[in-house]
Amino acid sequence: METLTTIDELGFARALQEDMLEDTTSDHALLEATRTGDQDAFAELVSRYRNQITSYIYRMTNDYDGAVDLAQETFVRVYRAADRYQRSYAFSTYIYRIATNLAISELRKRKRRKLVSLTGFFLPSDGGEPKELNPPDCRPLQDSELVDTERRNAVQRAISTLPEKYRAPLILRDVEGRSYDEIAKILETSEGTVKSRISRARGFLREKMRAYL
Amino acid sequence: MRKNNCEEIRRELDELMLDEACSASAVEHLKRCPTCREFYETRTKLRQMVGSLGTVAAPPDFDFRLRARLANDSSSQGFHFWPLARKGLAFAAVLVVFLMGIIVVRNIVNQQTNREVAESKPVVPQPAPKLVAPVAPNTVSPSSELTAGVQPGTAPKNKSERSVTGPRVKRPLATVESASMGAQVISGSRIDSEATAVIPIDASLPSFKFSLDDGSGNARTISVPTVRFGSQRMLPNGHQFAQKGIW
Repeated sequence: METLTTIDELGFARALQEDMLEDTTSDHALLEATRTGDQDAFAELVSRYRNQITSYIYRMTNDYDGAVDLAQETFVRVYRAADRYQRSYAFSTYIYRIATNLAISELRKRKRRKLVSLTGFFLPSDGGEPKELNPPDCRPLQDSELVDTERRNAVQRAISTLPEKYRAPLILRDVEGRSYDEIAKILETSEGTVKSRISRARGFLREKMRAYL
Repeated sequence: MRKNNCEEIRRELDELMLDEACSASAVEHLKRCPTCREFYETRTKLRQMVGSLGTVAAPPDFDFRLRARLANDSSSQGFHFWPLARKGLAFAAVLVVFLMGIIVVRNIVNQQTNREVAESKPVVPQPAPKLVAPVAPNTVSPSSELTAGVQPGTAPKNKSERSVTGPRVKRPLATVESASMGAQVISGSRIDSEATAVIPIDASLPSFKFSLDDGSGNARTISVPTVRFGSQRMLPNGHQFAQKGIW
């Protein structure tokens, strides 16, 4: 880390720190401004959360285009409901809750639609767990990046096979790095339930990822 | 006891964040228990793999698409008439079809019943009802009008009896010219029989005027223009089918 030598540089650093602090605490203020019709405030909110929300929904649905669409729907709902927003929760909790609900309803819709899945052809006759369409490639790979990509794809596929009630808390905890308290608020359940679901989700995932562990 | 201890340690390890240090008792336990150590290593590796997924970036045109969507939403907001209208129309159509069905079925049933009755019982000849000539307008009261043309004793008592006696006989109608009669004057809730509206009618006058008195001294005159028909405008010596220009 570079050492700051002049008074001006020190002052600038302090101001920058204050700006950053202001940035992290003013979601409510931005939404208040959005309520009064400030489009720039809403644009700022979008720029803060678009990647997080898109990524979260993508991890939930394993479909990038659908995730972008749902992320946009999340922001549309935030915009429309700006008048009804209450400050009882953090804004991030609020927006993640909307995103979670949208993702879960999308997963349920897909389940109802019963899309023909390629993994369906590999279903065992005794009704057990479906086998992975892409089994791990055991041949030695030259490029470590390829290995990482392959592993990440396998993790993503394994996550997408988890039941939705286990998927959301696992992603929020292990991918997004949220606290148990926050996850409980997002999912509108108790902290104990969240902990037990995450533990069970990891157990399921461990079984599915046995070849990589 | 040992199993319980392992469960507690595993729970504690599971709840920690990846970069979070575990307690001294857990460290001690991990040194002694190979199963828990294996569990911890596997879980840590799994969590690292899941954590390595990272964040996926939104597309560059995300903001633009969002703005377009919001603009589209705001333009399409407001009262959505068409879905309601569609439901209403569908309901009305169903109702109309239902009512038409009822009418058709009822007609068919009535026709069948009439045919069966006509076939099963001979028609009893009824004396022709006496036609009562229309009474002079000023002398017939509305109550007498109701009974005009109906012979006492011959009136059918109910619907079934009427259908048995044969085809309906057209009743002679008596007409009452109520326009030239004095209307009852109502003052408050009682009918004032003394105060009557005077309606002078003079057909020769160009307009039809009559005055009403509500019994409390308030009189009102209403003028109705005379309706002229073509025959009134015909010349006395003119031909009915005369060409234009004779009028």
